[in-house]
Amino acid sequence: MSLLSLDHKDVARRYLWSGLGFLLLGGLLALAIRWQWAWPGQPVPGLAWALPESRGALTPPTYTAVFTMHGLVMIFFAVTPLLFGALGHFVLPLAIGARGLAFPRLSALGYWIYALGGVLVLASFAVRLGPASAGWTAYPPLSTSAFTPGLGQTLVTVAVLCAGTSAFTYGLNFVVTVARCRAPGMTWGRLPLTVWGLFFASVLNVLFVPVLAAATALLLMDRLLGTQFFIAGAAAVGGGGDPVVYQHLFWLFGHPEVYILILPAWGMVGDLVAFFSRKPAHGYRLTAGAMGTVSALSGLVYAHHLFTSGMSPLLGRTFMVLTLLISLPAEVMFLNWLMTLWRGSVRLTSPMLAALATMVVFGLGGITGLALGAVATDVPLHGTLWVVGHFHLTMGAASFLGVFAGLYFWFPKMFGRALHEGLAKVHVLSSAVLFLGVFGGQLAAGYAGQLRRLYDPYQYTYLKHLLPLNQWTTVCAFLLGAVQVVFVVNLVWTLRRGRAAEANPWQVGTLEWTCASSPPGEGNFTQVPVVLRGPHALSQPEVLERLGRDWIGQAEVLPGVARQDTTEEAVPASEGTVSTVRSVT
Amino acid sequence: MSTSAETAPHPSSGMTSDMSARTLALREDAAVDRPRIDALPGERTSVEGRTQPSSNAPSATSARTLALPEDASVDGHRIDALLGWSHRFEAGMAALALGWMVVAVWRFRNAKRAASDGGTKRSRAWVFGLALSTFLVVDGALLVGSEGYLRDVLWNLQVPATDPRTVRIEINAHQWSWEARYAGEDNRFNTPDDVVTWNDLRVPAGVPVWVQLVSTDVVHGFSLPNFRVKLDAIPGRVNQTWFRAAREGTWEVACYQHCGTSHYRMRGELRALSQEAYAAWLREAGRQAVQAYDVDDSAAHWGWEWKAP
Ligand code: HEM
Ligand SMILES: [Cu+2]
Ligand SMILES: [Cu+2]
Repeated sequence: MSLLSLDHKDVARRYLWSGLGFLLLGGLLALAIRWQWAWPGQPVPGLAWALPESRGALTPPTYTAVFTMHGLVMIFFAVTPLLFGALGHFVLPLAIGARGLAFPRLSALGYWIYALGGVLVLASFAVRLGPASAGWTAYPPLSTSAFTPGLGQTLVTVAVLCAGTSAFTYGLNFVVTVARCRAPGMTWGRLPLTVWGLFFASVLNVLFVPVLAAATALLLMDRLLGTQFFIAGAAAVGGGGDPVVYQHLFWLFGHPEVYILILPAWGMVGDLVAFFSRKPAHGYRLTAGAMGTVSALSGLVYAHHLFTSGMSPLLGRTFMVLTLLISLPAEVMFLNWLMTLWRGSVRLTSPMLAALATMVVFGLGGITGLALGAVATDVPLHGTLWVVGHFHLTMGAASFLGVFAGLYFWFPKMFGRALHEGLAKVHVLSSAVLFLGVFGGQLAAGYAGQLRRLYDPYQYTYLKHLLPLNQWTTVCAFLLGAVQVVFVVNLVWTLRRGRAAEANPWQVGTLEWTCASSPPGEGNFTQVPVVLRGPHALSQPEVLERLGRDWIGQAEVLPGVARQDTTEEAVPASEGTVSTVRSVT
Repeated sequence: MSTSAETAPHPSSGMTSDMSARTLALREDAAVDRPRIDALPGERTSVEGRTQPSSNAPSATSARTLALPEDASVDGHRIDALLGWSHRFEAGMAALALGWMVVAVWRFRNAKRAASDGGTKRSRAWVFGLALSTFLVVDGALLVGSEGYLRDVLWNLQVPATDPRTVRIEINAHQWSWEARYAGEDNRFNTPDDVVTWNDLRVPAGVPVWVQLVSTDVVHGFSLPNFRVKLDAIPGRVNQTWFRAAREGTWEVACYQHCGTSHYRMRGELRALSQEAYAAWLREAGRQAVQAYDVDDSAAHWGWEWKAP
């Protein structure tokens, strides 16, 4: 695999390693925050080399940089790249029967732009005054040079622009690929739900990442060129601009971004729950439609992040109604997952455990968001760790577990080797439980009033009694960090000497498992498959009867049946009725 | 990482148990280039025309970990009750979803056969119906409850505007303190008898307190956790809100928007006094303010003409 290869699978692997690296960095930064809340001002174990003056203790300015970089790294350099860069790049073309992405050069370029951003992020830790420190939201005027003068803030802002550019390129690439490059017979109604999730999320990327780019570019101009788009108050000279405009632009991107982070995971959960219940997904169209509805609404609810910004009552009411509305499609989708389990034959494989764990943490995350959607109940919770717990359950824990559901599921396809199931299960289960511990603790602390981003929450008398709770939460967080070692061991061991994966270890019918080798060669398929049915044709009586197994490839011809393809775009007879199934045993 | 523009707090043993020692240690080290007038318990600084909090610490009564901060406001109980309802819904939905999942996994684990359909028309209608009714009940309750509070309290500035006893306060948030301005006897802002306090809000219990809020530097967040009040202070605009203290006592003012290095120390105190004690304090403080008034100190004249709602 050369670094210049344009193959989508190679690009995916590049994103995978970079994403995992940044996940480690982001995780370590999270542990530093947690340490500070449990043992404020005490030296963080192992950090003395980086902070010699304080012998490893976080100082207030370091602390602001740490939480800022944690958020930015996790969102832009770890989780999005893992979901889209790694899993999306790898799976999407295979799952729709394409030989590659629509624009292979663009996808390779996208990675390098992302990598450049990553380098800037790392470099920012080495410059004077450290990396960015104005929060991942980077609200001006704080994020302008009058208040955050360091070069690091500028570097990281450019890095975010890089990550955004790469997100835009793969978003565009995925949209075009799904629209134009599906194999014959792969109708929209036969797409795996994973592809639906990636597709909708990619549409959101294309629509809303440019908004972030605009806001960020204007902010950079305020920082570097002396413009005043977002500057007001004492720092404004003659006129000035309006910081609130930035907030609206930021969240117009920021809210869809949280759906960008979860839609691929939703899609995977939908597929995995069906695969490992050995039955078709319940209400496939309803689920895909629900994901589409959420995506459509996602740009219309963003100002619930600004309920306390002094918005006009008209706007406040509108966004409250729209926000609450979004819970309807989410509920439909969730109930469909549950219904898929029902009357199935549930197999608790590691990807299935991860999918179920994703459902649990996402469910709790969604439920705890309801109170934030109504203005009155948002008031006491806004800006507290309740919000932090809520969004970590959804886009932190759920996306994280979604990534691992996908990784455990597709790993044999990516590398041709089978991970150790036992270790994978231990990793998934312990992570899920500890996630609940960490983010449950944050919800509780937030409910009791603990505000976000406080270097020392115990400055406040009304928060002093939360110290023991925070210490327990921190213990959970460190254990969570520790159990990731199980994954690393499994990964390294498997790549070195894991046994060769079977052709179709999960016994499912999607194209990547039934029509391509593991790992797939250049061009993915020896012959482009002709798709005959949907992604979840499991436990079909006629298949059981004729083939003696409970699954059938999406492009596999059922012996004795002339043609099952009932849709109008049936393959011309000249192409022959034999589709290109690699026979799998 | 080289963020340390300032040195770290000296880690001393027993720090976690001795909050105030640590607090003070941090205080010395923070790189702050403006006069620091904080409201740390036990500290008293006097600046002309500005009153400082005296030494009693905020009341920290109900300190249960799993409870909201104590409610000391007249209207906050409505939010709390709504949150109570929302928790019941949350618990119900979580129990339903998790219970269903556990039962399904337990009952259908490795079952001999699986259904071959993706649901029937009926089962899909059932899913949609269940989702819709949950949505209508839960979101409906939140919407209606919230709307009532917004209409009667949060966005109903008619209450403070029409009540003759209303106390009006202009608050200027800046890195890293709360400057509050009272109109004084003449009831007009930006006049010599204005009373200006730092990190020290005083209000009479039981009457509407109407706050108008600005920031001169970065975005801050004005919150009174015990009064269910939160409002952004944003440079370039005046935001407003109001509340009523239910009883006398001392509570805390907290900044909830990240506003720089010492954000965590942007703490103030709010004292709810009896109406007589409040009037006496305002009269005395106004008298001192007139004496200390300096026409040329333009930086001190940051008040503005009260904005109509
Ligand atoms: C792996 C375990 C994780 C732990 C223990 C953790 C912990 C924390 C903590 C303690 C904070 C500080 C909250 C505050 O004061 O605002 C925080 C902030 C944040 N985290 Fe995480 N986090 C984790 C994973 C993630 C993941 C996976 C994501 C993203 C997908 C994420 C995104 C964020 C964001 C956006 C912020 C806000 C940063 C800011 O305030 O500027 N975190 N996290
Ligand atoms: Cu949002
Ligand atoms: Cu502040």
